[in-house]
Amino acid sequence: MKGYLVLESGEMYEGTLLNSAHAGSTNFERAGEVVFNTSNTGYEEIATDPSYFSQIIVMTAPQQGNYGISKSFWESNQIHIQGFVALEIQNSKRESSWVDQLGNHGVPLLSGIDTRHLTMRLRSGGTPWGAIVAAQNPAQAKTKADKLIQEKRVIEKDWVYAVSAKDSQILKGENASGPRVALLDFGTKQNIVRLAQKYAKEIKIFNSRASFEEISSYNPQAILLTNGPGDPADVKIAVETTRGFIGRRPIYGICMGHQILCLALGAKTYKLKFGHRGSNHPIRDEVLNEIYVSSQNHGYAVDPKTLPAEVKITHTNLNDQSVAGIYWKEKSILGIQYHPEACPGPHDAQGLFRFFFDEMVASYKYE
Amino acid sequence: MPKKSNLKKVLILGSGPIVIGQACEFDYSGTQACKAIMKENIDVVLVNSNPATIMTDPEIATKTYIEPLKIEFVEKIIEKERPQAIIPTLGGQTALNLALELHEAGILKKWNVELLGATPDVIKAAEDRELFRSILDKVGAKYPKSYLVRTYEYGLEVATELGYPLILRPNYTLGGGGGGIAYSPEEYRSMIIKALHESPTSEVLVEESIIGWKEYELEVMRDHKGTFVVVCNIENLDPCGVHTGDSITIAPQMTLTDQQYQDMRDEAYKIINLVGVQTGGANIQFAVHPTTGERVVIEMNPRVSRSSALASKATGFPIAKIAALLALGYSMDELKNDITRSTPSSYEPALDYVVTKIPRFAFEKFQGSKDLLTTQMKSVGEVMGIGRTFKESLMKALLSLEFHAEGIPDIAYTSEQLSYPNSQRVWALFQIFRDGKSVEEVQDLTQINPWFLEQIQEIVQFEKHFTKNFKFDESKKEESVQVLLDAKRMGFSDARIAKLCGRKESEILALRHKWGLHPKYSRVDTCAAEFESNTPYLYSSYWSMKSELPAFDKPVAIIGSGPNRIGQGIEFDYSCVRGVKAIQKNGIPVIMMNSNPETVSTDYDTSDLLFFEPLTAECVSEVMWATQAAGFVSQLGGQTPINITKKLLNNGFQLLGSTMRTIDLAEDRGLFSDICKRIGLQIPKSAMVGSYSKALEMQSQVGFPMICRPSFVLGGRRMEVLENPDELKSYFERHKDFISDDKPCLMDQFLDGALEVDVDVVRGKDWIIIGGIIEHIEAAGVHSGDSMGVIPPQRLKDSTCDKIEELSRVLANELEIVGFMNLQMAIKDDVIYVLEANPRSSRSVPFIAKATGIPLIDLGVEAILGKSKKEMQLDKYNWRNISNVCVKGVVFPFKKFSESDSILGPEMKSTGESMGRGSDYSEALMKAFLSSHVKLPSKGEVFFSLREKDKDFLIPIAREMQKMGYQLSATTGTAAYFNENGLECISLKKVHEGRPHCVDHIRKGNVSLVINTTTGRQAIEASFDIRRACIDYSIPCITESDAAVAFLIALKKRNEGSFDVTNL
Repeated sequence: MKGYLVLESGEMYEGTLLNSAHAGSTNFERAGEVVFNTSNTGYEEIATDPSYFSQIIVMTAPQQGNYGISKSFWESNQIHIQGFVALEIQNSKRESSWVDQLGNHGVPLLSGIDTRHLTMRLRSGGTPWGAIVAAQNPAQAKTKADKLIQEKRVIEKDWVYAVSAKDSQILKGENASGPRVALLDFGTKQNIVRLAQKYAKEIKIFNSRASFEEISSYNPQAILLTNGPGDPADVKIAVETTRGFIGRRPIYGICMGHQILCLALGAKTYKLKFGHRGSNHPIRDEVLNEIYVSSQNHGYAVDPKTLPAEVKITHTNLNDQSVAGIYWKEKSILGIQYHPEACPGPHDAQGLFRFFFDEMVASYKYE
Repeated sequence: MPKKSNLKKVLILGSGPIVIGQACEFDYSGTQACKAIMKENIDVVLVNSNPATIMTDPEIATKTYIEPLKIEFVEKIIEKERPQAIIPTLGGQTALNLALELHEAGILKKWNVELLGATPDVIKAAEDRELFRSILDKVGAKYPKSYLVRTYEYGLEVATELGYPLILRPNYTLGGGGGGIAYSPEEYRSMIIKALHESPTSEVLVEESIIGWKEYELEVMRDHKGTFVVVCNIENLDPCGVHTGDSITIAPQMTLTDQQYQDMRDEAYKIINLVGVQTGGANIQFAVHPTTGERVVIEMNPRVSRSSALASKATGFPIAKIAALLALGYSMDELKNDITRSTPSSYEPALDYVVTKIPRFAFEKFQGSKDLLTTQMKSVGEVMGIGRTFKESLMKALLSLEFHAEGIPDIAYTSEQLSYPNSQRVWALFQIFRDGKSVEEVQDLTQINPWFLEQIQEIVQFEKHFTKNFKFDESKKEESVQVLLDAKRMGFSDARIAKLCGRKESEILALRHKWGLHPKYSRVDTCAAEFESNTPYLYSSYWSMKSELPAFDKPVAIIGSGPNRIGQGIEFDYSCVRGVKAIQKNGIPVIMMNSNPETVSTDYDTSDLLFFEPLTAECVSEVMWATQAAGFVSQLGGQTPINITKKLLNNGFQLLGSTMRTIDLAEDRGLFSDICKRIGLQIPKSAMVGSYSKALEMQSQVGFPMICRPSFVLGGRRMEVLENPDELKSYFERHKDFISDDKPCLMDQFLDGALEVDVDVVRGKDWIIIGGIIEHIEAAGVHSGDSMGVIPPQRLKDSTCDKIEELSRVLANELEIVGFMNLQMAIKDDVIYVLEANPRSSRSVPFIAKATGIPLIDLGVEAILGKSKKEMQLDKYNWRNISNVCVKGVVFPFKKFSESDSILGPEMKSTGESMGRGSDYSEALMKAFLSSHVKLPSKGEVFFSLREKDKDFLIPIAREMQKMGYQLSATTGTAAYFNENGLECISLKKVHEGRPHCVDHIRKGNVSLVINTTTGRQAIEASFDIRRACIDYSIPCITESDAAVAFLIALKKRNEGSFDVTNL
């Protein structure tokens, strides 16, 4: 089926839509922010990562869907992306396929477009809104897409709240002598929870708008702020909640969690031109004292000039020197902009979980 | 930390002559490293025995030594140069082993030289399999169950336990040399003996089979801070059981999940850490069970490797350069990514395209050897295809092989060709899908991962779709345009499309252009377009919407030489690279086109614009159209560019240098002999025939012995010396498929016993220069690529040399050569015969350039660019002023092809060459033999088996050897003759005379040197076992009487013990 990716700025990419004969084949046209990801593998982890909420993902690696699917790779219990674009997506009849998976969930799959050209457009012009539609010709595509984009843009901006767990939940940890951890769910990836469980005695998951009091009543020994989608400036309540714990409990923020933490410290965030999404970014980590390759997915970053002087920028993205993490030893605060939990991507930064729990939390003097 | 501040001078070890398993990829890595280190203001002393390389061009390093890669020679260089450090990680296994020997002999300590990049401990940890396995145990990595076998008896014991099939891996050998797969106890028993013999330490790992598992390779880098990156992950299409050098491989990996891949990456990291790779590149191979996902480690190399060259070209990440700089003390975050020039090197490349590597084989050169792929590498070269999808890259790679213009022609095949991996399997895969077999059925036969099979099946299914829906007559234009575009996106060549719709290739091209279908050019940028790139390293794709071409004013295109093959190898890459620089010196931007990832010419900083493309007329033309090239040079890349020149001219491009008419005059043997006759040059009597009946008519006119060959061949394919009418008959029976009226066979008088020479000439519009005359050591009849040679000539009279030069000038003028010409001549009874002329740079050009110091390539380029005599300073170049003697040695791959004969003949079989430089002939000879891995035994038994006519000639040689203390032995006839002439000699039975015979004697290890001359098919077959035993046991075997004379000279020099080393 002929299909188009239409950008709000008017560019159009004609390709092949693979959504046919699927359960969700009646209503799959969607709009979202169009972003690119340079990972070679991990399409399933990416599609189920809540941080990609409301985004159309363009994979720069040309062959996708090669190894089929497995529920064990899901990073949440649903597919969050609004569209999946790659040059070629394997539609194998051998086993349950990625095309079927997305098709049955009504997520559009567009193949056969020059994703390199599109990536260069996103790199130079920033990440626009766009829509994937089925159409016979460009004019029809444009009309359909404009409408979808308009509709999508008016929905509420606090995307974190949209993907956050609505009910709190208590999970058992694997370490009987570990801390009780309050996890503020901004749209967490399952592997953050899984890794935290290794160190914690117990984890309680809170909604992103949970108040300081609500969380305090659980009396956690450590606070974990998770990843999540969208603009940190749009997230309500969490900044104040987090501020309440600074200096009172060890805090570990990842990605959105890191940005909320910095906002709570009084810093400002800004939108990166085209974001960092991939599995190959080099990081200088002055906490673990290593240079390694990281898994990345964020569209916003912390402005280093706005951070309080006491806060040390300990992690730097070596591609563009942007802030990749902060550490404030005295207050026991660690914020990491990328994804130490990986999934997808390299495991090089997983030592930060150990550092947080075995060093920061273990040595923390509770009042 | 920046670089180590105390470093002022480093020694780099090269990899020596090209052999299977160690080819020009090490020239690529060495050259890149030399350039990088020189830029750091550190002096580089380079040692390599291979004169065909770019790295031994005197402009690459501070000082270049073309000397044997043996410890006594290297020690002398160390003594002379006093470097502070040696980098042993860039010259393959040869350099690594040499470094270890230098360490063990105490030489490094004695001269206070440090090893950079890999310490002896690291080398041992990776190479010593027991040590390596203990490391794997520590990190919890699995490996196939195996035993280290040191004796035959123990070998039998462990085989019973492990069961069949079994894999044999001898320690410390190249490209799996001496190893293989044994399917039965019978096979195993003979293989274990050989394998034990092959390993320098007599150790063989006998391993349980993981045949059929998926195979992967990670190319990694690590710096002294511990930063670790995977530069490239590669997946083999051929499952385990085929040496990775012989496998079709794909980057990035295609069929692992992120979790499987990351776990593999973690394991690689742990292993590298524990092995202790401090600085530089390494690779690790893994196997993954296709269904359970179980993973085992196969091996690791703590050095830059064949696959790191591939990985560099596949990703744009300059592994060798970075490895060299890391060895100097830098860390990866301190080094910029050359391609983006904005991001650091401590990242992992992201690919938005797919690359496919396909090896090129030469089984047809080695009669008797089976076309079967095992764990011992047999390929002689490789190509890489870059495409936006796997299909496009695979199809481009297949075209790059220069096997067939259609890329995927229809072929006949057998099901054995699918079940037993072999050089033709990939085409059989296409054909079996054309025959309607299912993915499951083919998977069953081949154990290839179904993802790859599906891709191939989709290409085949598309062929049917195309045939149905494409209408050449524009009756259904809209659909036809789309289906043609789809075909091009899948990588179909115009030639294949033409075949599918019954048209001519030129018609498809015309229609395609009429419909506006051209490829676009995308960049290899290391980052999938995430960052801007400044380096024009390009590939074509019909998927790309817009070309990323920088503008250059009237660039000139150089067409490279494609995959290495026997007869066309690294020498032509030398010509191309040197040619690029020479053209650039004239202020003209240069486009380089090539398909061979092992080369320096495909390094992104060699030319102004690099196109990694199949060297077909179609792909080259499209590049020329897209870049609006002012012209092209086809004299530098061997026969490959010559073969497509006519088509390029038809497409309207300008050929620089000699015209097509000149090429035709030189290449067409009929036209060429007419010219020679006209200007009074002697040529061997000859006739051109299209059939056996015609041959019978002409045989008396040519006379026996005669040499037969089809026209337009490279490296003497199917060329044979025939002694009598019976052999003529047999020749036509065996080669009838290659001889017809369109493709006639040339019958030439064979100049028995003549002296042969190679002459390289450059002719400009009003000038000519003779580069030099190489005198062959073997008499006429041995292919010039296989014979040893010496410059200056040792046997030719000065007056003959003068005459040769004069004739060369006359011929160059007559052919109106503009640029290069290579001539082969034979001299018999003071008469000079012209054997052939090649209107291009030749195999001997780099050798001559390095021996004489004359920059021949630069001169040829000036000629091509039309420089006149007064713009040149030709007076300073006179090859006869050469002060040293230089001998060319040759290296053969017979060991890899069991069942093949090592006798030399008119068909070229050597893979590489060496150079011995000395103050006199004996020193040069000695070095050339040593550099060609020929042992010069100081004592022991010399075995003779001689043809009648050589006996008298070789009596003095035998006598001399006896005087030097060697024991003589010979076959009955030869022994009797020796005895009659007063030589004490052991008499041994010939093979047909019963056992124990001479071959038993050789195989028992009693013999140190064999001199075996023979003529005629029958005699050659009868003495085959003698030569084969020598190959199997690495005993020098001389098959030519003139070579025996040379060998004796070298032997004497070696025994005398003195030698010197000098730089170029």
